[in-house]
Amino acid sequence: MIRKTNKITVDEKLRKNLPTVEIDPPEKVYITLIEMRLNSYELDVKEGDKVKLGECIGVKDGGFFTENIFSTVSGTVGQIVKKFNYSGKKVECLEIINDFQETKADTIKERTDQEIAQLTKDQFVDIIKDNGIKGLGGGGFPTYIKFATDAKIETIVLNGIECEPYMSADYQLVKKNSYEIFGGLKYAMNSMGISKGIIGVKETKKALLKALRKVQAEHFSDLNCEIIEVQDYYPQGWELELIKNVLGIKIKQGTLLSDYGLIEINVTTAVAIYNAVKYNHPVVERYFTITGTAVNKPCQMKVKVGEYVPRLIEAAGGYKTKEDKILVLGGPMMGANLLLDDAIIAVTNTSILVFEKGEPAEEPCIRCASCVYSCPTLLQPVQIMNAFKCKDIEAIKKLKIFNCIECGLCSYVCTSKIHLTEYMRKAKKLAK
Amino acid sequence: MASKTGFIRQTAPYLREPKANVKRMMYDVILALIPVVCFAFYKYRLNGLMIILTAVGSICLAEYLYYKFKKKPGTLKNGTALISGIIYALTLSDSIPLWAVFTGGVAGVYFSKLVFGGMGANIFNVAGFSRVFVMLSFGPLMQYKVDTVMSSTILGIANKTTAVTTLGNVSLFEMFLGINEPGSIGETSFLIILLAGIFLGIRKSLDWRVPVTIILTVFGLSFAVSLATGGPLLTYPMFTILSGGLIFGAVFMATDPITSPITATGRIYFGFGIGAITYLIRLYGALPEGVVYAILIMNMFTPALDYYKWSNPKFTKRSITIFSAVIIATVILVLVGV
Repeated sequence: MIRKTNKITVDEKLRKNLPTVEIDPPEKVYITLIEMRLNSYELDVKEGDKVKLGECIGVKDGGFFTENIFSTVSGTVGQIVKKFNYSGKKVECLEIINDFQETKADTIKERTDQEIAQLTKDQFVDIIKDNGIKGLGGGGFPTYIKFATDAKIETIVLNGIECEPYMSADYQLVKKNSYEIFGGLKYAMNSMGISKGIIGVKETKKALLKALRKVQAEHFSDLNCEIIEVQDYYPQGWELELIKNVLGIKIKQGTLLSDYGLIEINVTTAVAIYNAVKYNHPVVERYFTITGTAVNKPCQMKVKVGEYVPRLIEAAGGYKTKEDKILVLGGPMMGANLLLDDAIIAVTNTSILVFEKGEPAEEPCIRCASCVYSCPTLLQPVQIMNAFKCKDIEAIKKLKIFNCIECGLCSYVCTSKIHLTEYMRKAKKLAK
Repeated sequence: MASKTGFIRQTAPYLREPKANVKRMMYDVILALIPVVCFAFYKYRLNGLMIILTAVGSICLAEYLYYKFKKKPGTLKNGTALISGIIYALTLSDSIPLWAVFTGGVAGVYFSKLVFGGMGANIFNVAGFSRVFVMLSFGPLMQYKVDTVMSSTILGIANKTTAVTTLGNVSLFEMFLGINEPGSIGETSFLIILLAGIFLGIRKSLDWRVPVTIILTVFGLSFAVSLATGGPLLTYPMFTILSGGLIFGAVFMATDPITSPITATGRIYFGFGIGAITYLIRLYGALPEGVVYAILIMNMFTPALDYYKWSNPKFTKRSITIFSAVIIATVILVLVGV
């Protein structure tokens, strides 16, 4: 196949109309203490302490920014244990034993509309920072840094695309929490003095468009917000691709969105902003999908942050096979591989996928150039691979490896089934 | 409870395009070649069939034995040797003795493919290389029986400005069908090869950019000649496209992805190069047919077109300027010769 591909072929059975299941509240949750970019932490609580839901129990430090740690249940603090997280490595996690009371922290209290209307930009940024809100689409970039910019922001773009196949967290969210999305958007626009809001949704998701339009007409008709339908392809959810399609602005890779007067956040983040501003409530749970060829009952659900993966798998009917299977935390194109299911759900995770088959056998490259045609960042993956094999760092850099977003399309389209994306990652490491 | 075992390591992405695989592409090409082979059989009967079988046999045998001696896994399964063999046979004339076909096939696959490291590593198109090997070694045996090297003869006439009008005697429609047209055993029917090309294009098993640019280039250059000499405006360009192995080379040999550049722009330059060189050979050269040479020459330029410092998947202002200058220079070069 010599062609540009941006549609991912999926098994519709594993994607459409997944049942929503309720899971019992967990006996224990595990709160990640170490994350990507956040490599040290300080805890305010010790083993045996009582904590409440949504209570700030410490802070993670990433050098130039920090993030508060919250308990997602009420109960007793346990030990610090090591569990896998989405990084694919074992990291330190704080165990909290649930007392099933769901007692809310004292800090969680409602703000009146008047108070909210009077929020200044700095206060708004502080609220977001205090509630530890970060890019909930999966990026995990601290949201307060996006808003703390000095540049004049004119447009805020809400990303409701969720372009990776099999994922439905944002879908569930937009369907059920349309009001909160607009609420978060409104708060951000008012406090930041942003004049225009845009929500990008795939044109194929009619139910979401309907839900959003209904809420907009009923409650937010005075808000300068536009719902824009975009085509359904991969990687439409990449922020630069989305901005190109909704605003027609081509943003050069490596530049800051704020230079163009733009902010882009995920719809889930917008809901988190709403809860933070309105109730001072941090994120303690999120929508989640479990699917794949190797689970018995693919389903969607709402999970606590810090849930233990085996419990979720059980809720999805368990594994189909004891033999070789691939466990993925995240989407099928960019998700992280876990070698053991002794793992926990972090706030940025949206799905678990379990696949049966292993990787197909590689054949020699026939230079069909599908990877070059399909690359959304206009790179030449096959050339980078060859340069990597020769350890030619100069060529790797000249071929703009650092523009690679690791979307996975080059591996996906490869006629010879060569794992190009892996070569891209290795080349990046080599050229660093 | 957490499972201790049963997981395997893999990195993202976990999905693969189910339709993308080498076998599908190769079998598509074989499927597209079947009508051409049938046509050769219809036209040359047993003789045509024997040439095809010998060519395929020689290339497959050489490849099989090579890997046998090297004690490496065989590569016949992927179908590339079979395809090279068929394409090579179809470019030969019916008068060639079978031993020459055999020698050419063995030498061709060895020197153009196996020494470079097998499939994916060859610089030259295997079929084209074998054909050139035969032409250079056993040229006198490659006589076209009827109206010796018809295409070149008529092209030769056409180049003398005074004689452009004599083209009116050749039925373009007959050339389009290729039933009575003399030439290599599989190259004569424009219609069948065109349909095969469209099939491959729809199946995405070839890159349409290459054949389309080749045909457009040849058409454009001959049209310019036609304009300059005041000959029949469309008859001459049509004749140029329909004659010889142009369409066959464009559809089956130039599109070999292994020997063409990997960017869309590179493939357009590549196609233009093949078209221009073919036409220049026809115009100035002493050879009956330039397509195969043009393809091999451009094969040599593929690494240059792919050189990382200037390869670019998209046209830039700079590349458009340079490309336009090259096109203008080529047109001038052609017109000077007429």
